[in-house]
Amino acid sequence: MQVLDKTQVEAISRALKEPGWVLEKRLKALEAFARLPYPSKKDENWRYTDLSEAPLEQEVETPKGLSLSRDELPELVKRRLEKTDVSGFLVFVGPDLVYAEVPEELSAKGLVFTSLAEALKTHPGKVEATLFRGVYVEDKFAAENSAFFTHGAFLYVPAGLEVEKPLGVFKVLEGGKASAGRSLIFLEDNAKAAYIEEYLSLDLPPTLHLSATEMVLRPGAKLRHAHVQTFGEGVWHFHRQRALLERDAALNDLVVNLGGRYARSEVASELLGPGAESEMLGLYFGHGLQHFDHYTLQHHVEHHTRSDLLYKGAVKDEARAVFSGLIKLERGAQKTDAYQANRNLILSPTARVDSIPQLEIGANNVRCTHGSTTAPVDEVQLFYLQSRGLPRSLAQELLVKAHLADVLNRIPLKALRAHLEAVIEEKVRI
Amino acid sequence: MNQLEIRDLWASIDGETILKGVNLVVPKGQVHALMGPNGAGKSTLGKILAGDPEYTVEQGDILLDGESILDLSPDERARKGLFLAFQYPVEVPGVTIANFLRLALQAKLGREVGVAEFWAKVKRALELLDWDEGYLSRYLNEGFSGGEKKRNEILQLLVLEPAYAVLDETDSGLDIDALKVVARGVNAMRGPSFGALVITHYQRLLNYIVPDRVHVMMDGRIVAEGGPELALELEAKGYEWLRERVKEEA
Ligand SMILES: Nc1ncnc2c1ncn2[C@@H]1O[C@H](COP(=O)(O)OP(=O)(O)OP(=O)(O)O)[C@@H](O)[C@H]1O
Ligand SMILES: [Mg+2]
Repeated sequence: MQVLDKTQVEAISRALKEPGWVLEKRLKALEAFARLPYPSKKDENWRYTDLSEAPLEQEVETPKGLSLSRDELPELVKRRLEKTDVSGFLVFVGPDLVYAEVPEELSAKGLVFTSLAEALKTHPGKVEATLFRGVYVEDKFAAENSAFFTHGAFLYVPAGLEVEKPLGVFKVLEGGKASAGRSLIFLEDNAKAAYIEEYLSLDLPPTLHLSATEMVLRPGAKLRHAHVQTFGEGVWHFHRQRALLERDAALNDLVVNLGGRYARSEVASELLGPGAESEMLGLYFGHGLQHFDHYTLQHHVEHHTRSDLLYKGAVKDEARAVFSGLIKLERGAQKTDAYQANRNLILSPTARVDSIPQLEIGANNVRCTHGSTTAPVDEVQLFYLQSRGLPRSLAQELLVKAHLADVLNRIPLKALRAHLEAVIEEKVRI
Repeated sequence: MNQLEIRDLWASIDGETILKGVNLVVPKGQVHALMGPNGAGKSTLGKILAGDPEYTVEQGDILLDGESILDLSPDERARKGLFLAFQYPVEVPGVTIANFLRLALQAKLGREVGVAEFWAKVKRALELLDWDEGYLSRYLNEGFSGGEKKRNEILQLLVLEPAYAVLDETDSGLDIDALKVVARGVNAMRGPSFGALVITHYQRLLNYIVPDRVHVMMDGRIVAEGGPELALELEAKGYEWLRERVKEEA
């Protein structure tokens, strides 16, 4: 079987019964994918990253058309469903949407939450207006996703509709083949929603995973978005997301990387209209040989916009993390506030963090701060905790959780926060 | 044997010898005061007792109920019943007092401590200290005033109920009401199964916590010992006369 070529792109598009324009976009993306080289350490944005063991040219899975009952869902998902407070959710297993549960009352109010393939049939105009606007062929992996994605989620919230409870997507990676999926979130004027995407798997042989999230926020729309990656071992996860925020739109974003062998998140907020604001939170904790890359962009295009980024992480064993954050202010971006902070805790002498905050200012009347710290656990604090009887390992555990606490505390989604706390706790003890 | 014994203790930090042969015994059931001028080495002694890894013990021994604790880690010493109330309690943002204290109690007792049992204990301590329950959900010492930090040390003392406590200037920076409260806390611990070494500069604390013995440290060793009246004498005369006496003896 031929892989990563035109035949396969066509086969995927055919299996999903997509309209012609999508196939065209896929084929264009394929051209870009074929043309672009794989990144290497010579590229500025990849200089800290070793992809030599990544299953880069892995065959991409094709849709199988699997569907499951709620009882038949993978254990991983069932366990999460017990403890989540999402009101509606989609479950993807491997290349397929296998299960969906969306509250009737929301659909009745015009909310659409379904697979991309389905939305292309039922709401083609809404998809065409937004798909590929946020993520298309920005780099090799974005292009690969745009050409080969087999599944996706589509959330549309009509003007003025405020949805309090979060909606969720659970993606279970099966492994052995590359898997590519997308999320497309489109909020009309003054709509409000929360969207959690969770990525799960068991420990797997080397497996490539590509995800892309596009968010379009019309004037006054408010979105809380969380990307939570807790894959098992062996997964190489490449995620790219971009939010387009129009006038007075607000995004509260959270990116969490705790699992996998390698995870890279490229996260951009485009503040395109006055009054737009973006809170960008990040949380990561690496152990073993894990390597996490976070590349962020706070792009202030218009005046009176605001962004506030806080990424906090910890690394132990031989884990590595990279944070590279850019605040970019265009010439028209007067009276903007832009904040960026990256704080890292290093738990072993063989763990390492590279933190590169960057600032590109084209406007003069702005408030802008950025800072980064990378430090080992505070021995004075450790001694204090130990002097009360806490074993060193427990004291360390407490300090890791304390370090990550101010990001966790800014997540109002209680069930999600509890889940993250539990995963972090487990990881400190490994 | 039921005593905290410091035997000819020599210790240094960054190559500087600070303790130069300290000998001191606090029997269980007694409260002793340790006084002495700034820089004498009082806090150094307290931290070395607690096992601060920054210091190197050159010579001598520390015995808890007859057993050397020199080779034990700070947490092992704490679990054996030693407690140090820090002169400068450490701020630990992100860790609430309640969470920390419960973990510490569990570590000390070597078993799970249920929420009900924990609260009962903490409530009693809070009442004794005239302290608001709200503090429990605050991060450990973060943003606390000097006095609040000291009160928090005594709260931990009361909840953990150690066999021996070293209180390092727990009275410094306290107003008179707070001082009385802290004294009430310590006095509540007093009894046949508790021994304490109270480090202080001020006689006024000793009005409330009347010591069985007073030790005076200068330049890394104990230079005088006596009853409570020694503290009064120091208050009246300062340390100069003692310094002279030490010189003459040498
Ligand atoms: N890292 C260090 N290197 C060298 N000397 C040090 C170091 N840390 C402390 N010292 C010295 O050790 C001596 C004893 O300090 P210590 O804090 O024990 O005094 P103290 O008796 O508690 O004083 P105070 O009454 O002011 O609290 C001081 O002279 C101090 O300068
Ligand atoms: Mg001192």
